[in-house]
Amino acid sequence: MDRQEAIDFLLDHYENPRNFGPLEGSDITMSGGNPGCADMITMHVRFGQDGKAEMVNWEGEGCTISRAAASYVSEMVSGMSAEEIEAMSFEDLIEELGRELVMTRPTCATLALGTLKRGVHEYDMKQKAHHHPEGSHE
Amino acid sequence: MSGTANSTYAHPEVLVDTSWVAEHLNDPQIRLIEADEDVLLYEIGHIPGAVKLDWHVDVQDKITRDFVDQQGFEQLMSRWGIDNDTTIVLYGDKNNWYACYSYWLFTMYGHKNLRVMNGGRTKWENEKREATKTVPSYAPTSYHAQPADESIRAFRDDVASNLRNPARRLIDVRSPQEYSGELLHMVNYPQEGAQRGGHIPGAKSIPWGTAANTDGTFKSAEELRQIYGSKDITPDKDVVTYCRIGERSAHTWFVLTELLGFPRVRNYDGSWTEWGNVVRAPIEK
Repeated sequence: MDRQEAIDFLLDHYENPRNFGPLEGSDITMSGGNPGCADMITMHVRFGQDGKAEMVNWEGEGCTISRAAASYVSEMVSGMSAEEIEAMSFEDLIEELGRELVMTRPTCATLALGTLKRGVHEYDMKQKAHHHPEGSHE
Repeated sequence: MSGTANSTYAHPEVLVDTSWVAEHLNDPQIRLIEADEDVLLYEIGHIPGAVKLDWHVDVQDKITRDFVDQQGFEQLMSRWGIDNDTTIVLYGDKNNWYACYSYWLFTMYGHKNLRVMNGGRTKWENEKREATKTVPSYAPTSYHAQPADESIRAFRDDVASNLRNPARRLIDVRSPQEYSGELLHMVNYPQEGAQRGGHIPGAKSIPWGTAANTDGTFKSAEELRQIYGSKDITPDKDVVTYCRIGERSAHTWFVLTELLGFPRVRNYDGSWTEWGNVVRAPIEK
């Protein structure tokens, strides 16, 4: 992907955001922000019975790169399990978004994924606590 | 040429307002250049006729950590259909941060007719003026740049050898947190950090953005004189501005040189990413 292709790719996500809006019945709702850019992104996830993310939505305001990245991440993680989302790499995301472009603002580019991973981690901890409550013996 | 209302600036002609630009969109002697920090903004929509200056590819030599050379600058001007008599109007996002950086670079290569659109892209948008996605093309010109005038550019050795010069004033235009050493980089720019935090000894902290109003326009000459004068930054001094890589400090260079008329101001573009990493370079916190 050359520089202009990367710009066009991000621009498409910025101008035609995928999965934008609230999500009913979400298992995860987590917000994150970048004070320097006034970015504020909220990620929503609803898991199916198979443990895979069946709906991933996002909301919020922010700079062009943070919004485009949120749109891309919402598409990318659809169908993944909590473990798979937690294992996702920021480096891979930056590569897919176009390293040359987004490395000028890495915190904006990774805001959505970082927020999502925090949400998934909390969800995962709660799930484990629910299935293996402290003091229980199986 | 019509500038902005504030005629107490030393060189009021360097500023044009948005209405003046709107009236000159079809003037062949004018070339608009959009220079943004946010790399997507031009594609989202720009002033009709404006070309895009992409800092990361158009004017930097990343191998030598330097700027495009004289020949490269000539080729750039030719590509945009700019000749030596063209009036260039620069504008951009974030208080004209990169527009002023470009102004400084273009001045170094001797372009005479340079302007900045006061308030930049934000003001144009807020006034709901015309925008387009159409990328213009212009017939190539034969442009002749001057050899780089490095009297407006400072280098590390000069900064180091003048640390005790009583006529020298250093201005650190970064955030107070970067100046104090609390942050090793600007918020959201972790890739542009340094090994050490702090500032060059003796530097005064005057963040670049203090020169701008909330609508992106420049503060009045009186307000600017107060801001810099209160820190003993006066026209009789030999002033060097710096930030982390010389962008924000070019904005302050523009304010001091063009709006307040200081005769001896240089931008140290090596800035903190150089000084903060140099072995044994003295720092303060």
